[in-house]
Amino acid sequence: MHAITRQFRDFFVSLQLTVGLLILSLILVFAATLDQVNLGIWAVQEKYFRSFFVMWQAPNSDISLPIFPGGYFIGGLLLINLVAAHIYRFQMNWRKMGIQLTHAGLIFLLIGELVTGLMQKDSSMRMEEGQTRSYSESFRDYELALLDKTDAAFDEVVAVPEAVLADEGSVQHPRLPFQVKVKAYYGNATMQMGDPAGRPGAPVATQGVGARVQVIPLPLTYKPDELNQPAAFVEIITTEGTLGTWVVSPLVGMPQTFAYQGKNWELALRLKRHYLPFSLNLLQVTHDKYPGTEIPKNFASRVRLKDEAGHEDREVVIFMNNPLRHGGQTFYQYQMNAAGKMSAFQVVSNPGWLMPYIACILMGVGLTLQFCISLAGFIRKRAGTPAVASSV
Amino acid sequence: MVVSLVILLTGCKDREITAYRAPKDAPAVTAMPQSPATDTNNLPPGHPPIGGAASPGGTDGMTQMANTPVPTAGGSDLTWSAPAAWTPKGGSSMRKGSYAVKRDGAEADFAITAFPGDTGGLHANINRWRGQVGLPAASPAELDAAVQHFDGQGLHFEVVDLAGPSGTRMLGAITSFNGNSWFFKLMGPDALVAAEKPAYLDFLKTIKAP
Repeated sequence: MHAITRQFRDFFVSLQLTVGLLILSLILVFAATLDQVNLGIWAVQEKYFRSFFVMWQAPNSDISLPIFPGGYFIGGLLLINLVAAHIYRFQMNWRKMGIQLTHAGLIFLLIGELVTGLMQKDSSMRMEEGQTRSYSESFRDYELALLDKTDAAFDEVVAVPEAVLADEGSVQHPRLPFQVKVKAYYGNATMQMGDPAGRPGAPVATQGVGARVQVIPLPLTYKPDELNQPAAFVEIITTEGTLGTWVVSPLVGMPQTFAYQGKNWELALRLKRHYLPFSLNLLQVTHDKYPGTEIPKNFASRVRLKDEAGHEDREVVIFMNNPLRHGGQTFYQYQMNAAGKMSAFQVVSNPGWLMPYIACILMGVGLTLQFCISLAGFIRKRAGTPAVASSV
Repeated sequence: MVVSLVILLTGCKDREITAYRAPKDAPAVTAMPQSPATDTNNLPPGHPPIGGAASPGGTDGMTQMANTPVPTAGGSDLTWSAPAAWTPKGGSSMRKGSYAVKRDGAEADFAITAFPGDTGGLHANINRWRGQVGLPAASPAELDAAVQHFDGQGLHFEVVDLAGPSGTRMLGAITSFNGNSWFFKLMGPDALVAAEKPAYLDFLKTIKAP
């Protein structure tokens, strides 16, 4: 084998690399925990763990520099290290089977975290008693929804993610008979009554609520209990000319509509929706307390699950630690307002949800096997020792 | 490399413009607050209970409220001239004016009340009204965006048009006069109140200080 290839191989299968990476991950977790004070849990996860490098932005500039390996980098190298060592040192020997299984479990755990990090979708479904919902909403991602509401039975929706709005460019889509020009976008903003022209520098809305309000940009919030409320000025441009400029924001409570080519359109900046192939109807919310106290005993929501495609129609009770799993989604009891007869579910779709369980089983079996093999060897050795002594 | 590719593909998905057909949003089913006792909970702190007819349909809580002494506005009153089609009703002690507005067999209630001070402020009052038609409370910015400003005869009105999910609609106007807050509230079936809106706005123009 070539010397460089051997060095390369030795580096990736070495235990020093494992130890080095584990130390780096310790430092990363420590720094991220401290930074939670400034950024909150969501931003910390993105900055430290769901990134290849932890970036540092130089003050008063747009230059970002990588200053420390991120979670994906360390985790990825750890995975390569583990797999390489596993393959390199693999021996089809039942004595080593316990170790092999434990390593395989660890590899599974790391891959599971990667799959979860990349593919898990968290959203929420909020309903009042009697309401039926067939979609969940993102916790913090928004979308500009352009709805063709002409048909009485359904809406044709074109949803533009917030990330596209942030580019402040023009949006065209085959389903839209017009162009949407994003004249300005604010990641967090509030609105107040007033003449829109009173804020120089900002575009002026000519249609809808925007013609009577001022949009005031706010700094982005990272606090876990606060939500950014984005706002944008969007102009609808047709082949015949502009239809006007609207202000869109989740703070706008009333629908903003316009008509074009005989169709009725509505625009709304709302939390990103994920439509499901089934619906839930909230039948009853129950909030039991321990008698004579305000201590909650049980939160439960009785829902009716209706799946048109699967011809499923059944009642389910969702309560703490007893989620509903259906169609690749898991519905956990998340929040409840018993007085308002409102219940909220956390809706999680994670294709890798079984992987940590499989990993734990593999590691458990591996460690038990290894322990038993060692124990058996030890007993055999002990049983053999007196015989040796007596023969001396 | 495979990992990078997966990450890149996942990253691109966040920027994907999607198009789909969705069922129409079902209107919220929140019923109007059934008992005025619940209604009272929606009042801003320090707000005096509002007159009985403000919450049609209640009985028990109303009896309780009727027994509570209510400070209504003192001093000189505003004057107005109501449309001929509106039938004056015998007002309660808390009402400055009371009319039945009828059309096509349906009836809406128009109440004029006045209380000292700002009674909790504009936002709290609109949110209380939202509760009465079955709408959830809204943020100050949403409320500001929904308020229409209307100038009458030397008086400035803040006007809201609230359509509840259960088919109840309310036109409400608030104005300040001599340190008192005056409320002009037309509440009834959606179609009737919508049809009466021009008459309601014309009515506001007739209100003047003595």
